[in-house]
Amino acid sequence: MAITTIPHRRDVIKDIKNRGGLVAAVLPIHYSRALLRAFDIFPIELWGPPKVDVSLGGAHLQSYVCSIVHNALSFLKMGELNVASLILIPHTCDSLQGLTSVLMDMIKPEQTIFPLYLPRGQREEDVVFLVDELQALYAHFSDFTGKYPTNEELLTAIKREELSDLLLLKLHKNRQQMGLSNIDFYRLVRSREYLSAEHFAALAENALQVTGETAGGIPVILSGILPEPMKMLDVISKMKGQVVADDLACCGRRLYQPGTSREPFRRMAERIIYAPPDPTRGNSIAERAEYLIEMARNSGAKGIIFYEVKFCEPELFDLPNLRNCLKEQGLASINIEVDINNLLPHQIATRIGAFLEMLDS
Amino acid sequence: MKIAALGIDVGSTTIKMVAVNSVGEMVWNHLEQVDPRVEKQVDSFLEKLRNEIKSLEGIPLVATGYGRNLVQQAVKNITEITCHTRGVYHQLGHGGTLIDIGGQDSKVVVIGAEGQVLDFAMNDKCAAGTGRFLENSAARMHIPVVEMGFVALSATEEVTISSTCTVFAESEIISMLAQGIEVEPILMGLHRSLVKRVTAMVRSVGLAPPLLLSGGVVKNPAIRKVIEDETKEKVFIPEHPQLMGAYGAALFALGIK
Ligand code: SF4
Repeated sequence: MAITTIPHRRDVIKDIKNRGGLVAAVLPIHYSRALLRAFDIFPIELWGPPKVDVSLGGAHLQSYVCSIVHNALSFLKMGELNVASLILIPHTCDSLQGLTSVLMDMIKPEQTIFPLYLPRGQREEDVVFLVDELQALYAHFSDFTGKYPTNEELLTAIKREELSDLLLLKLHKNRQQMGLSNIDFYRLVRSREYLSAEHFAALAENALQVTGETAGGIPVILSGILPEPMKMLDVISKMKGQVVADDLACCGRRLYQPGTSREPFRRMAERIIYAPPDPTRGNSIAERAEYLIEMARNSGAKGIIFYEVKFCEPELFDLPNLRNCLKEQGLASINIEVDINNLLPHQIATRIGAFLEMLDS
Repeated sequence: MKIAALGIDVGSTTIKMVAVNSVGEMVWNHLEQVDPRVEKQVDSFLEKLRNEIKSLEGIPLVATGYGRNLVQQAVKNITEITCHTRGVYHQLGHGGTLIDIGGQDSKVVVIGAEGQVLDFAMNDKCAAGTGRFLENSAARMHIPVVEMGFVALSATEEVTISSTCTVFAESEIISMLAQGIEVEPILMGLHRSLVKRVTAMVRSVGLAPPLLLSGGVVKNPAIRKVIEDETKEKVFIPEHPQLMGAYGAALFALGIK
């Protein structure tokens, strides 16, 4: 599939605006796309982005806050978020929580800020907590838009997202038969970050029709927050590595399963709560290790590249124990920390290369 | 001299080439300061060798090191972690934990009983824990790099350098010199600071004795002593510690033949 068929984020936003739609800038990681779409609000996710003037955000944030948050704030201060009518900030970590405070109390941008508190567990109380949160968000969106989608309308929006997510899951499962390079695969699946469910579903269905040569190379799992700078994926390919599965916050950790409840808020909440293990949602190291071992078994991966954003506290806090746990079970891993603004330094390419050589020997 | 394969290690400060015979013995080597025009420099190395053995026809060359991708003459590139491991294992004949302190990067590799890489750690892109840290500090104190280890060992006391960052360490040194502290204890403190950074990497992968050392910085006797102090392990050094990357690359080239 030609990668040129994936529309550019800028064109997608222009198209939404031309049709009179509302754009929401959404920060990482978990939220309900369906809830926004039920109000005709189009979520465009903001994972950084890389390559911005970070000094703008740096004026308000500590130096030990991650580059995703630094860049998001810098991007806003550059005026690049003026296309958005609102900003949704899930309470993923302390850095994003801090950003919410900085925005609401000090910067006060023209966009309305909507925080979303996420529970840290998978118990019934956590589902109930998230249901309440989503209902509160519904009320805020109603005040904001003057709209009151019915339960049926909410369920329609949910099912539309579920269909799109099933196709996303299928892309992940079929990745080795699609003949896509590492970077082209991630360009495709990451378009889910800004395309509508309908648009992404059409794109995914087309991509799934195309089969190519089975990807060869040393099979690895990619874990962490996001594959930025994306050039890192080319480095893996160049070193004869093939990403066969992922545990990335922007991708594999958001392979939400379809819900069953007829109650829309519960269904939205359950999809998020029961998604694959994620340290930001309170999954234990043991759960994550078990999940990753299973992933390696199913995908044939020989090792895991933990590709982490520097200063990402939820990720880095668990990592030493998680890696030890995996090591004890015979799964090799490497930890690489990056600032998403940096060019890929030589040492990182060497580390990835050496890790792949180690797995191959 | 019968040459069967060649290896080249393009480091950040020096470039080394090694030739091996058909049983993997090092039969020739050459080392120079690295030139930014690597390809030309490799040509001049090959020319030197050609003067000695006439034809290099069909002799494979494998490149490793920081600038390995710049060596167009190589049939293959392999990372320095894998090449150092191969070289050291072949020379010493056993596994262990290898510390390689280079000019710009340092690495720790756990080598298995069969010579395989079991785990490794590498310093981040900053110069702390590398030869560059010592070089910068030596320059600040007007001491030639080749002498600094000996000067450090002549110290009767030692000061603590709290900064592992090269830039901050430099300010710390300036302020110590301004307070009238002698050069020797400062130098000893600097060596310890570098070694502590490296031993933290050792701890991150877990020390599997014996401890092996390679890299250009090993020529510095204070480094070896402080590493032994800090780890309480005796260190083993191959015959040509600075050439282990190129030697390993040559051994890989031998396998390609
Ligand atoms: S990278 Fe980590 S610290 Fe930064 S926003 Fe994401 S989860 Fe939070």
